[in-house]
Amino acid sequence: MHRRVIHGRVTRPLARSWLRSGVRLRSRVRLAALLLSAGWMGAGWGAAQTGQSQTVQNQPTQTQPVQAASPTSSPAQDAATPTDALISALRRSLVQEARGEALLELVFPPSDTPVRRARALPRLGTVPALIRRNFVVTSTPGTVAGRPATRYLLTPNSAQAARWTIWIDVRWKVPLAYQERLPDGTLARRAELLSVNPGLNRLAARTVQTPVPGLKKALLSVLPGLSLPAGFEPLRVRVRAGAAGAGAAEVVLSDGLNVLALVVSSRAVQPASGVAVRRLGGPGLSRPGLGGQSVWLVGNLPQNTLESALSGIRRLDPAALASMTGTFGRPVASEE
Amino acid sequence: MKNTEADMNKPDIHQADSHGSDSHGSDISEADELSTLFAAARELTPADLGAADRFLAANAGTLGRSFGRAGRRRRVLRLWAGAVLGAAAALGGLSLLGPSVLRPAPADLPASAAYSVYQSAIGEGW
Repeated sequence: MHRRVIHGRVTRPLARSWLRSGVRLRSRVRLAALLLSAGWMGAGWGAAQTGQSQTVQNQPTQTQPVQAASPTSSPAQDAATPTDALISALRRSLVQEARGEALLELVFPPSDTPVRRARALPRLGTVPALIRRNFVVTSTPGTVAGRPATRYLLTPNSAQAARWTIWIDVRWKVPLAYQERLPDGTLARRAELLSVNPGLNRLAARTVQTPVPGLKKALLSVLPGLSLPAGFEPLRVRVRAGAAGAGAAEVVLSDGLNVLALVVSSRAVQPASGVAVRRLGGPGLSRPGLGGQSVWLVGNLPQNTLESALSGIRRLDPAALASMTGTFGRPVASEE
Repeated sequence: MKNTEADMNKPDIHQADSHGSDSHGSDISEADELSTLFAAARELTPADLGAADRFLAANAGTLGRSFGRAGRRRRVLRLWAGAVLGAAAALGGLSLLGPSVLRPAPADLPASAAYSVYQSAIGEGW
């Protein structure tokens, strides 16, 4: 349709100039008929081409050469590796997002309402530098909410870490769906847009997350003997003022996509699935005011991996803890 | 008692003698009388036995408060006061040091506390 309009705009002034010229009427009619038929053929061919590319695009098993020929693909994207294309889209998702009707399913951590609906996907706290280091990215075509998407499969280098699948809209280059699965295939969480509003929504700009230099060293001096699970780096520290002044320091660790929470608290927590606890100072001393502390590690890793990360910790250095929270920490309001 | 009567009579004899004859011989007899008097005074008589007890028993109210039934009551009272004060001091000390001595170690937080920390770490929107 679009091509036909362009065709008419171009051909009408040309035909007028032909009519004004001194060519004989019969020749003019013949030439006009010829041009008209050629135009029809061209328009028909163009329409056939457009229709073909649209149907191919909607198929999940789209092949790479046809995708390259489609008008929506850009040469820059095709030249980049899947990792580059994914990270570029994840950076874009910091400032723009697709909205509509989203379905969220949260299996870990366990909650009362594991499935709920929302207007947008939850933010992905990705760390591009760590994705490059810890994941192998492959891509295949797919469809989400009727929109063509590229399905990126992120396989972790560590056998214990969860693997991810992220669907990126082919035109908009923002996520339309993602899911996290444990190494045994169990779903940890997923989010998917079931229907998409026309157009993107602009977001307040955010900075890309990166591992903080010096924080890992500071953390290891607070808890000598701590061995971080493979691929994980500390990102940030939060200081939570708890009940009766029993504060807790929370360190968020990431391997690029998966997250672990390490908590240093004067109170212990009951061990559970995905929660490892280590008490420091012995049972007789683990009381507020007497220097007893507990360390918790919470995350979507196998239980023995979480426990072995803490098993080497012998003591807590209070001076190093104060230094770490003072340098890297930011306070948060208590939820207790 | 006989001795007392004898003692009472002796001055009478002495007075009768002194009035009756004012001679040198009566002085000598007076000295004898005195020495016998002193000797009699020095001797322990049955009246002396238990005199201290009788005196103390008669004057218990005025002489000393630590003796007798009232004194015993006072001693018991003092003992009780000490015991009550000591118990109060012990209670006060325990209540001051209570948090670390009396109270048991705080119970572990439920696992939901750990999950909520994790959920805040995985990002907004969940």
